[in-house]
Amino acid sequence: MSVALENVVVLDLTTQLWGSMAAALLADFGAEVIRVDDRQGRDGPQPDGTWNHTFDLVHRNKKSLSVDRTSERGQRLLTTLAAKVDVVITDRREPELAADGLDYASVSAARPDTVYAQGSGFGPKGPDAGLPPLDELAAARAGMMPLLPQPDQPPVYAGHGQMYTSVMLAYGVVVALFHRKKTGEGQRVDASLLAGNMYGASLDLQAYLAIGEDRLLQPVSRLDAGNPMSGVLYPSQDGLWIAVTMPDTDRWWPMLAEITGLDAADPRFDTHDKRCSDNRLALIAALDDAFKQHPAEYWRKIFNERQMSADVIEDYEYPATDPSARDNRYILDLDDASLGPLRTLGFPIFMTDTPARLRANAPRRGQHSAEILRDLLDYSERDIAALEQEGVLG
Amino acid sequence: MTMAGPLDGIRVLDLTMWFQGPVAGQHLADLGAEVIHLESPKGGDFARGVRSIKALAIGDWNQYFLVINRNKKSMAVDLNTPDGKEIAHRLVETSDVFLTNLSAKALEKWNVTYDELAKRNPRLIYAMGSGYGPYGRITKPSFDMTVQALIGVMARQGEPGEPPIYLGMGSGDAMGGMMAALGIMLALYARETTGRGQFLDASLYGAQTFMAAPTLQAYLATGSPRYARPVSRTDPDNPLWNTYRAKDQWMFLCVPNEDTPWKTLCDSLDAGTLAADPRFADPEKRRAQATALVAALDARMATRDASAWMDRWTKAGIDASPIVTFKELAADPQAWDNDYLLNAHCEEVNREVKIRGLPVGFTKTPGVVETLGPQLGQDTELILFETLGYDWDKIGELKAGGTIL
Repeated sequence: MSVALENVVVLDLTTQLWGSMAAALLADFGAEVIRVDDRQGRDGPQPDGTWNHTFDLVHRNKKSLSVDRTSERGQRLLTTLAAKVDVVITDRREPELAADGLDYASVSAARPDTVYAQGSGFGPKGPDAGLPPLDELAAARAGMMPLLPQPDQPPVYAGHGQMYTSVMLAYGVVVALFHRKKTGEGQRVDASLLAGNMYGASLDLQAYLAIGEDRLLQPVSRLDAGNPMSGVLYPSQDGLWIAVTMPDTDRWWPMLAEITGLDAADPRFDTHDKRCSDNRLALIAALDDAFKQHPAEYWRKIFNERQMSADVIEDYEYPATDPSARDNRYILDLDDASLGPLRTLGFPIFMTDTPARLRANAPRRGQHSAEILRDLLDYSERDIAALEQEGVLG
Repeated sequence: MTMAGPLDGIRVLDLTMWFQGPVAGQHLADLGAEVIHLESPKGGDFARGVRSIKALAIGDWNQYFLVINRNKKSMAVDLNTPDGKEIAHRLVETSDVFLTNLSAKALEKWNVTYDELAKRNPRLIYAMGSGYGPYGRITKPSFDMTVQALIGVMARQGEPGEPPIYLGMGSGDAMGGMMAALGIMLALYARETTGRGQFLDASLYGAQTFMAAPTLQAYLATGSPRYARPVSRTDPDNPLWNTYRAKDQWMFLCVPNEDTPWKTLCDSLDAGTLAADPRFADPEKRRAQATALVAALDARMATRDASAWMDRWTKAGIDASPIVTFKELAADPQAWDNDYLLNAHCEEVNREVKIRGLPVGFTKTPGVVETLGPQLGQDTELILFETLGYDWDKIGELKAGGTIL
């Protein structure tokens, strides 16, 4: 079996979870990703010897080069390396990168066919291009936070906006690599936290852009939903919640009425329009009462037996113990030599011919420094030893 | 004349519906791929039938379908007929990618399973956007919200005691669609070397575990309920990195829990007493007394409008933002300057409309929105004639028989 990103070498200058996970996606699919660990880095195994699970997630399958960026020789080493690799990926800010000679202009001047992936907070253009890449700031700016809770509750930061940005950045890299393979041309690719948060809100945002009503700017009570049978939450008897998604109400109403003990022929609810406009509030109230009559497990069983699109709202224990999450490799069980059995996130994309693989946990800082200098930059053992001596390599 | 996109010459047969599948095709179409949305002559993609959103009329143009399916062609072919199946198979022979999010049952019925299509075109990339993955055990129809319900992301949002929170219409579909586009690009890139196509699946379940990664990974590792349940804004890990309500609106304050930024923040809030309060004297105390500190900051914050706080904080180098609605976003130059929002001509109503734009930027091969979504079947005859070489007699016969629209 082959890997998708065969012979692609990536220089990983990321510092944040979403940026590092974009590089990890490339590594999972076979790219050789060299992470630059600098001495100020706070990552690494926990001081108390427990598992640094985030570190192993965001840097798995990577190599580590530890360089003192503040030394002149360290800086030169990095600019030389940047001119050797196929892809540079970073979430650092441009002025900082420029000072190190690692911004797009410098890297592409040295090697025009480089694919340079720049993650940022707010995009390369515009008055706020220089704001820091913090997902909270981007989420606050993207319009979705006030919509999420029930009315009169504080706005909700869910933290997932940055994860769209992560995939977008990886996607941009592979598109640019594909283009380079065909034309020989490199370029800069960019994805920002603002773009990620906006993309995640696509349907709500587009509805507002087109319809422009204030109702689309504010939280809507679950008891005031547009379609009582789709996208609505109902509490069950034991306090666990039920999510119902059956937008095609003509098809599902008779069955839903039957299992909830409502009358399918009730003249208030006997057409889609009555259910979803004239009498939707009455139907929501009726369903709200009905679902409270039984515990969640009862409803789960019925939804499965009847193959209805509805389910119980679970917490993380569900995927954590779901055997199908293992079968699909969305979650992996590991057996670590020192830490024992561990559970970690696996791979979101299944591929038959070029599957993602876990080849290695996150590297120790500087684990591959000598190897990278030797293999990629043709340094001699003597040069490497000298750099180590001078403290340029960590 | 169209600028050459990075995916020029890539043909995608897009047998999808609603959002998760179609938006994957949209990403490829934005970058120049020829994406053919294959639909039933009887009404087509169900998304064409959306009439209202959150109990509001959708208006004079169906933005739901037209934006998700921008830059695409449409063929209306009845796949229940032998002639329709033949058309699909011949299209597959000339395509690079087959994209679908339909049920296994429908794909079998129409004879467009991976095994069937790979036989006809070994270079074909068959991209599936399923609900629960290739080894999923749940067989019922899946929608974004029902999968989000199982993954656990909904149960951990908002204030304790409130209902669970769905992350927004199609939020998980959007992740699935982006993942599928990434998978397709990986497969196209690999094919340049291997010469082979393959099957891939970017399910809602898989995409949403990625979406939940920061907290789900922490839960997998520690089993701590703190990652799985709602945590009140009055009980944060760092009270200085939190939502606060100014006099007129909510804000996000992002200050590290360190002594110097804490002093700067207190100065900016005219809160000398807070700075001197022994309960909050160091980072550890501020963490331990989070609830008391949030209450104290709530009281200060409520004394001025967000813009007044932003003036002070910008000068003081404190990171913060008002928490805005789509109304402010729609007027935000940052979104327009980066093409995250675009104007596009809508033929249906013959005017310019605002649409969500291009999420990924490219300096040499930027995406473009040339057209909004196609009319049902508008390209059927031309594709049959030009791409598949059907003659006009045959096309007329197919039309008369109802196989095509």
